[in-house]
Amino acid sequence: MTQTIPTTEPAAGVRPPAAGRRLRHTPRWLPWALVLPALAVLGLLLIYPLGWVGVLSFQDFGLRELVTGERSWLGLDNFRDVFHDPLLRTALPNTVVFAVVNVALTVAAGTAVALLIAQLGQVARAIAVGAIMVAWAMPAVTVTYVWVFLFDARDGFFVELAGHLGLVDPDQTNWFTERLAFYAIATVNVVQHGFPFVAVTVLAGLSTVPRDTLEAAVLDGAGAWRRFWHVTFPLLRPVFAVVTILSTIWDFKVFTQIYLMPGGNGTNRDVLNLGTWSYITAISQNRYGLGAAIAVLLTLMLLAITAVYLRTLFRQEEL
Amino acid sequence: MSGLGPRSRSQRAAVGIGFVLVLVFSLGPALVMLSTAFNARANAGSRSVVASQLTLDNFRFVLDEGHFGTYLRNSLVVALGTIVVSGALALLAAVAVSRFRFRFRTAILVMVLVVQMVPVEALVIPLFIEAKGLGLLNHLVGLVAVYVAFSLPFAIWTLRGFVAGIPRELEEAAYVDGASWPRMFWHVLFPLVAPGLIATSVYSFITAWNEFVFAITFINDDSKFTAAAGLRQFFTQYSTNWGAVMAGSTLLTVPVMVFFLLVQRRLGEGMVAGAVKG
Repeated sequence: MTQTIPTTEPAAGVRPPAAGRRLRHTPRWLPWALVLPALAVLGLLLIYPLGWVGVLSFQDFGLRELVTGERSWLGLDNFRDVFHDPLLRTALPNTVVFAVVNVALTVAAGTAVALLIAQLGQVARAIAVGAIMVAWAMPAVTVTYVWVFLFDARDGFFVELAGHLGLVDPDQTNWFTERLAFYAIATVNVVQHGFPFVAVTVLAGLSTVPRDTLEAAVLDGAGAWRRFWHVTFPLLRPVFAVVTILSTIWDFKVFTQIYLMPGGNGTNRDVLNLGTWSYITAISQNRYGLGAAIAVLLTLMLLAITAVYLRTLFRQEEL
Repeated sequence: MSGLGPRSRSQRAAVGIGFVLVLVFSLGPALVMLSTAFNARANAGSRSVVASQLTLDNFRFVLDEGHFGTYLRNSLVVALGTIVVSGALALLAAVAVSRFRFRFRTAILVMVLVVQMVPVEALVIPLFIEAKGLGLLNHLVGLVAVYVAFSLPFAIWTLRGFVAGIPRELEEAAYVDGASWPRMFWHVLFPLVAPGLIATSVYSFITAWNEFVFAITFINDDSKFTAAAGLRQFFTQYSTNWGAVMAGSTLLTVPVMVFFLLVQRRLGEGMVAGAVKG
């Protein structure tokens, strides 16, 4: 799902189908027969469960209900519990502030790298693109373990380095226990994994910026900074809109990278975000209704962002 | 944009430094993973990033005592199952939405886009309850079903571009020769869309191979773990066998890396082809 850069489909809608000839060979129900198996899978495994999680969020559903299949309705109690839970005051910023910071850093880093690669000669450009592809292709599980290894308490590479520089006492330092340091490490992880998508997309966009316009700007005495903000950025605004919104969606629902860091699986409640909080409440503590209510909150936020995404997309093309 | 106006020495130096920074930041984690996986002293207290003494012991440990071979086989079974089912369903659906006009076609396309945004955390709770009820926990087929659903939207969306790139005249020529629709599909559309099918299969493979949340939720039986979930066993409460973690990570990463680099260019071409031709 990393690169849903939608393509346009220009002629298909315009060209009149060769009606007489096609009708003879293709019955009217054929498109439905072709699309139904896929729709059935999406309906059963994505849409129906999504509705069910909404229903669960209004129920008292615990281990007993899981075994007996009984259900009892709670109304809005689960949501009331979530809103009154002091954890919300850390989990919400851990989700929203983290996403905002990471999107800003990912888009900035990706754009900077794209502008840099555009300056390179052919060989250096191929090497740089290959390198960022490697960063992109690493599984999230693996990269997270590497960062945990590097920042590990006492004898991790960065702790030892900071110790040698006299910044911290390595024996007293465990960055994973402090909320801010924990999320700073998660930020390094998520930005390192996310910037290649932005860089590759923006790089493709840069090749569409007309050379004459940039050369004219140079003749007018515009420096690189002004050229970017006054020529490149306005022309590539749609590209930036898409990479920003897609990054926002991905960074809002980051789970694996948080869960796999020390304390991220619920042992340190300060570092829970909405995703890990929901998962731990439901799957580890068997409070499925309450976990579902947290998941519903997260989903509603994502749906709002998705709506913005679709509007941006529809302005650019006709499906 | 290269060669815009005269460049000073300091500008060239800045580009050079930037180039090195990009390489270090991009390749750093992969190199640390490799050097620790081959490091004989990975667990001996000193956590140097560069291996001083090379060994294959970490890999031997992971495969023999860590049962990582079983996990890799489970991952392969799940990924192949996902590719086959998802590829078949996505191809049929892509043909429907790019070759036919029918009611709700646009609605279906919008739905395919929207379901990609649904967070895994919202699905894992109901699907866990459902899988438990159906007795699918601890069965790899439960994971395949979920991964097919996850990989379908992207596969449909991408294959639609590939199908749209095939000239309609070829289809019509087949009809003129007296072919029925299924014959035309099998002998005209399928061979032409095969490169696109390979490209989307790689993405389905990566989705299934890398997935973590459902892999740890659906499977408790450690003979059924996939590789991404099985790595956790090298962490114990008091110590971590980092050499083993990184050796296992390397085994997990290499197939993904190979596929990703192979297909990246081709997928881009397919999308462009789908956009340019009608």
